[in-house]
Amino acid sequence: MSRDQTSRRVDAIRAKRSELENHLIDEYSAGRLSRREFIRRGGVIGMSAPLVGFLAAACGTGSKSGGGSTSSNGGAASGNAVEAGGKEVAVKPGGTLKLGMSPGPSTEIDPIKVADEGGLGVMSQSGEFLAWSDNKLNLDPRLAESWKPNKDGSVWTFKIRQGVKFHDGTPLTAADVASSINALSDPKNGSNALSTFAGVLSKGSATAVDPTTVRFELDSPNGNFPYLLSSDNYNALIVPKDFNGKWEKTFPGTGPWKMQKYTPNSGVSYVKNTDYWDKGRIPKLDAQQVKFYPKEQAQILGLQSGDVDVLVHFSPTGGKALLNDPNITVIQLRSSVHREIHMRNDKKPFDDKRVRQALALAVDRQALVSGLFAGKADVGNDSPFAPVFPSTDKSVAQRKQDLEKAKALMQQAGVSNASATIDTWDGFELPDLAQLLQNYGQQIGLKLSPNVTPAGTYYGDAVFGKSPWLDSVMGITDYGHRGVPNLFLNAQLTSKGVWNAAHFKNPTYDGLVKDYVQSLDLQSQQAAAAKIQNLLLDETPNIYAYFYYFLTGTKKNVGNVEVTAMGHYDITKAGFTTGA
Amino acid sequence: MARFIAKRVALGLVTLVLLSMLVFFMANVLPGNVARRVLGPFASPTAVAQLNHQLGTDKPLITQYLNQMKGYLQGDMGKSVSTRQPISDVLWPALGHSIKLAVLAFLIVVPLSILGGVIAALNEGSTRDRVITVGGLSATAVPDFVWAVLLLIVFSLGLGIFPSTAAWPDGSGVLTQIRYLLLPAFCLVFVLFGYIARMARAGTIEALDADYTRTAVIKGLPQRKVLWRHVLRNSLLPTIAVIATQVGYLMGGLVVIELIFNYQGIGQMIFRAATQKDFPALEAAVLVVGVVFLLSTLVADVLYSILNPRVRLGSADQ
Repeated sequence: MSRDQTSRRVDAIRAKRSELENHLIDEYSAGRLSRREFIRRGGVIGMSAPLVGFLAAACGTGSKSGGGSTSSNGGAASGNAVEAGGKEVAVKPGGTLKLGMSPGPSTEIDPIKVADEGGLGVMSQSGEFLAWSDNKLNLDPRLAESWKPNKDGSVWTFKIRQGVKFHDGTPLTAADVASSINALSDPKNGSNALSTFAGVLSKGSATAVDPTTVRFELDSPNGNFPYLLSSDNYNALIVPKDFNGKWEKTFPGTGPWKMQKYTPNSGVSYVKNTDYWDKGRIPKLDAQQVKFYPKEQAQILGLQSGDVDVLVHFSPTGGKALLNDPNITVIQLRSSVHREIHMRNDKKPFDDKRVRQALALAVDRQALVSGLFAGKADVGNDSPFAPVFPSTDKSVAQRKQDLEKAKALMQQAGVSNASATIDTWDGFELPDLAQLLQNYGQQIGLKLSPNVTPAGTYYGDAVFGKSPWLDSVMGITDYGHRGVPNLFLNAQLTSKGVWNAAHFKNPTYDGLVKDYVQSLDLQSQQAAAAKIQNLLLDETPNIYAYFYYFLTGTKKNVGNVEVTAMGHYDITKAGFTTGA
Repeated sequence: MARFIAKRVALGLVTLVLLSMLVFFMANVLPGNVARRVLGPFASPTAVAQLNHQLGTDKPLITQYLNQMKGYLQGDMGKSVSTRQPISDVLWPALGHSIKLAVLAFLIVVPLSILGGVIAALNEGSTRDRVITVGGLSATAVPDFVWAVLLLIVFSLGLGIFPSTAAWPDGSGVLTQIRYLLLPAFCLVFVLFGYIARMARAGTIEALDADYTRTAVIKGLPQRKVLWRHVLRNSLLPTIAVIATQVGYLMGGLVVIELIFNYQGIGQMIFRAATQKDFPALEAAVLVVGVVFLLSTLVADVLYSILNPRVRLGSADQ
């Protein structure tokens, strides 16, 4: 195709596109977006893959750097570690893959309520979402064929894929999708997704317009809405409209794996679904068996001794032995998993922001990353904007340890011999972190004493006034991965945030977050992000010292295991390598 | 004898009622609530209240307790609040698993340690004696989970002879099951060997010194016969008592071993129930362990009286 022909075709396409899509194309043509980011954003606002591909080639400027947001996944791999999403290798068809999961589903698996990684991992083998958020945060259409926002992103229309069948043979329709999502936004069901949908989607806002179309009317415009219906949302699994809550009986779903046997607290086995709608994703393996380990150490031994072939997820702290094991491949994935170190902005000694800044400056983040995580973490910059998020403005200066400046700030604040208790609970590396914070505090004359309790005690009733987590002067809270920072920005830090343990109340911040959430394109998201990042660095309501990696371990003879930092795993292409 | 047993059973029932109260109320004193534990810290308060209502955990404690007891009397253990499965579906298989492991451990350790004890006693003061007593004691002094890690590193990771888990694949035959159970069983063997061998040794030494043994020897009975008929029969009495008290430890006390080997026994069930605030499951599991414990001590007492008619069991008979 000649240059003229191409440009005529682009014009023809653009004439039929929405304002939002044209804006995205403009940004890309102007070189403000990388090719990869253009493809990702195009997917989010519902442009088809071939179309985005054509436009990416036709409108590209050759700019590689784009708006500063490229790799979501560029951490340097070392030792036996490989980055997730590597090249596909040849595998033998057939066989049974044995996987270990720790701790496995912690309670009854119910898509409406599920809140734990184990439950999610088990669920998403036989069940599917409207879209799959892959490990580079691209949205891959699954049960939805395509989607489109209206002009301002307040109404989204999803086309439901035809020819998809649930495992019992019933065809999937728009009614199944509408009822699945409406069940989540109805407060009476007490869904775990209520916090995700707060201010976005209310009861009954999904309507099956016809058998293949579902329309979502949002409470307010949201540029990232498709993520909330994707595999990024624990609960957005599509179940049959007559679903009765007894999910564990049959694992009703449309996915590539059919449940064969499920024993709570013990394990689950699946066989491949030969009737799966996407012929390219019918599993190469015949079956998979998942074993649940109540303790992480047992699963580490399980992989090393060959009782299982894959560990879906292990922690850098618990699995140090695997990081240098020559028989194991470690797949690493950047994530937004973090610890929020909150300081009560309304209580002494942290009511003076200089004291908060001083403590943040006393923390040696690099030492935490190498000491606690053997380097398998990104350094945090005191905001929930993890390096993994494309919207994070990476040009904002990184806060580093500076004891002189910290001491000077303490002096300016006129604080000496101040003390505080650090509340946290006895899981992960939290007690170690509390101990280290105590040391950092000591160096600037702040006496911090850790108070480590069981998780139940720390979280209490999880509402203000009845929870050490939300009431303590200082505390450390563990947060899992999210594909977008919206939930962290809202719940942890806005004046009305339900998890605002720092009691941070700042109208400017609240306004910036609103701008951020409503931004429909990356350019304006990054602009809002930069303002939020700078404001949080200045105010330092919380310390965010690191975001650690999601690690998966496999035996050397296993290939093509895909994971996401949410805890989903996809082994449809996986198998035993031909060399072994 | 019948009266003795009846009295012991009655006392046992009282103990169980007290145990059930203790477990129920102590567990409920711990902070945090059930639905919050199930739904996680980030669930909305509405969702938590909703689930607590659904589970009945918003009712007064005394009502919850009485409901549970009523269920037990009707043979219904209730449902787990975390997995929503009937508790009996989990508890009986777990008990079965614990029994299998205990039986295997006993089958190895009892003959081995008695043999060791007797050999030590027969060679009292010799190197052989010291090796057995000091070795046994040292093995006992090492906690079971240290043995577990050690055995795993050597036999599973190092030599690759045994699997690193005790959870055998579905449908395995007896031999495969034994292969999976050998490592955890040997941890218990190491821990128990010292105790039992010491008791057997002490009993044997005492019996060797006894008048009846001297008489038997003087009477010209061959040594083997003296040992079998006179020494062992008498020396094993205290040993049996020691073994019986270990049943309680094996049934429910193996929390760490079961976790390390990922074995679905009753110890793991108790651990999980306690951490998940699954009180109905915790209560049921603890009570079953209590029953096993009471039964094993009762059996030990009865055995004791059969082996040694001098013991009248008897305050009850008077």
